Amino acid sequence: MFRGIWRRSSRKRGRSKKAIIITFLLPELILLLTFVLTPIVGTFVISFQTDNGYGPDNYYKVITETSPDKALVLPKNIESLRPPPWGALIHNIVWVLIHLPLVVFLGLALAYLLHEVKGSSIVKTIIFLGMVIPMIVGGLLIRFMYDGTLGVVPLLFKTLGINSLAKTWTNYPQTALISLILGSVWLWTGFSLTVYSAAFESLPKSYIEAAKIDGASGLQIFFKIVIPLLRHATIVVVVMTMLWDLKIFDIVYVSTLGGPGGSSNVMALVMYLYFARALDYGRSAATAVILALITLIPGAWFIKQVVKSGKEKR
Amino acid sequence: MARVLLENIVKRFGRVVAVDHVNLEVRDKEFMILLGPSGCGKTTTLRIVAGLEYPDEGRVYIDDKDVTDLEPKDRDVAMVFQNYALYPHMTVYQNIAFPLMIRRKKLGLTKADIKKKVLEVAKMLKIEDLLDRKPGQLSGGQQQRVALARTLVRRPKVWLMDEPLSNLDALLRLEMRAELKRLQKTLGITTIYVTHDQAEALSMADRIAVMNKGKIIQVGSPDDVYLRPSHVFVGTFIGSPPMNTIKCVIIKSNNEYILQCPGFQRKIPSGEVAGVRDQQEILLGIRPEFIDVYKEPVPDGIKAKILVVEPQGSEVILNVDINPGGEETLLKIKTKYTVKYRTGELIYIKPDWTKVSIFDYKTGKALA
Repeated sequence: MFRGIWRRSSRKRGRSKKAIIITFLLPELILLLTFVLTPIVGTFVISFQTDNGYGPDNYYKVITETSPDKALVLPKNIESLRPPPWGALIHNIVWVLIHLPLVVFLGLALAYLLHEVKGSSIVKTIIFLGMVIPMIVGGLLIRFMYDGTLGVVPLLFKTLGINSLAKTWTNYPQTALISLILGSVWLWTGFSLTVYSAAFESLPKSYIEAAKIDGASGLQIFFKIVIPLLRHATIVVVVMTMLWDLKIFDIVYVSTLGGPGGSSNVMALVMYLYFARALDYGRSAATAVILALITLIPGAWFIKQVVKSGKEKR
Repeated sequence: MARVLLENIVKRFGRVVAVDHVNLEVRDKEFMILLGPSGCGKTTTLRIVAGLEYPDEGRVYIDDKDVTDLEPKDRDVAMVFQNYALYPHMTVYQNIAFPLMIRRKKLGLTKADIKKKVLEVAKMLKIEDLLDRKPGQLSGGQQQRVALARTLVRRPKVWLMDEPLSNLDALLRLEMRAELKRLQKTLGITTIYVTHDQAEALSMADRIAVMNKGKIIQVGSPDDVYLRPSHVFVGTFIGSPPMNTIKCVIIKSNNEYILQCPGFQRKIPSGEVAGVRDQQEILLGIRPEFIDVYKEPVPDGIKAKILVVEPQGSEVILNVDINPGGEETLLKIKTKYTVKYRTGELIYIKPDWTKVSIFDYKTGKALA
């Protein structure tokens, strides 16, 4: 419909075409300016505000902070291989390192195993429930799951006779971070499963059949045909998961609040604590800018991939 | 040597019987075409030979070896798919080399051996210049050649093709028909080819198996199925335009059989038709091209009125009513376009009675 308007207008005059472009772009531009651009610039400005003018003080302080509940990096603990806290930034990185491979693997494996299985949609729905519930509720569920008296995880280890793990996981620095990461696997696998399932649906069967006749075994088909053909789905899953891991907040907030002793602290929570508890807006904004710069890395890579695949298709 | 034998194959999808007790022998080096309308079970039959489907009943033999329960990779067959199924993430070279690469150790091939074989087959199909491209950068005809190369690179025992030409434009299709036939004959690979295009089947096959509703109706040479259809379905499915069928009755009088048709009747010479009864209803099958047309009355000519004239260049298709005044009985006639024909004109036609088929009206089967 819009194309029709285009053509008619371009036939008339160049100027009226310009007017139409502006008319259609204006509402979007106003929204972007008000709700995206202004806060970004504002945060950036605030992050450089100090008591005596403007400067990089906030960044310096945020990065060198050593109190466990606000530190981004605690080099001593990492070097001596002591249990967490290692600093919020390191916790985020650990989160990505454990969570991302697990989510990609589980999503891919489940989608491959469940496609063409009768009634698999029920199983997929159950797994997807983790995505449907609000993350705040998810965080509470995680807390209960690892509770020493109520939780299913400690109960499991108790039945297995491993008493050292039959305790409230979120109360101990050694287990708090890993319990949250594993809990978030359960909450987020539904996402990768859904993306991979959709990708499997759109994969022409004849590729796999051709490979079968060409003599490939099941594993060869999976690694040489299926995985390369699912590249686009993998890019989406990897980038979205990384972004989610770097921005993780709600689960941590309701289950441990970064504790005990900052051992499950994450960047977004540090930003929040500066903002809501310490009322230090400058440092909160500085943390936010650092977090944004870090998330830009996977974001930029993703956009590059999308542009590249767009060019390939053309 | 490769002979394919299908023995009593049955395949059901839920309540639908896709393949219904099919028996077929494909001889060594033969070009066998499975021909039939869509949904007749020809592709399913092909997939059963490939091992992509397993039959509910019956056995499949390749070279007298029972392969019914073997996986596709253990059957030494190769298949060209309708959409070619070229792996989009691999180059043309990698696509063609794929069947050899994944069994490199088993076949004891070095990378140099594989390269030699790929180049050889690429040369044969004239695609040497395309080896570095991805399938997405090729035209339909080029993709087709790559798909053929991928199946031929390992010289399979049996070559399977599922409507390989249906995605090509008309001109290219004609060109590829001849080329495929030549390739098949030079390489001498036993071939099973599925198509719904009767012209393709007639022009390429050594033998054609005509299928309908999961059953094989007739197996024979192109001449057999064209000139001597065993069932009215074969007659009306093959040919363009298809065979005319007229409902007639056989009447016995004074030890003579008379064919009573709308608009004309004719004595059947004794011995020409065996096993007919008095009052038997039959279908008379006459191919449109086996009818002579006269502008003036001729002895034994049937009077007909032209309803539609369809010029085809050098030929013309006349749609005529052979029972003008009575119940309309349509006939299509294909004849040389040397004389001008007008709608509404009365003409006289004479079928070539030696090339006429007679089918039982109820069963559709050919009578002697």
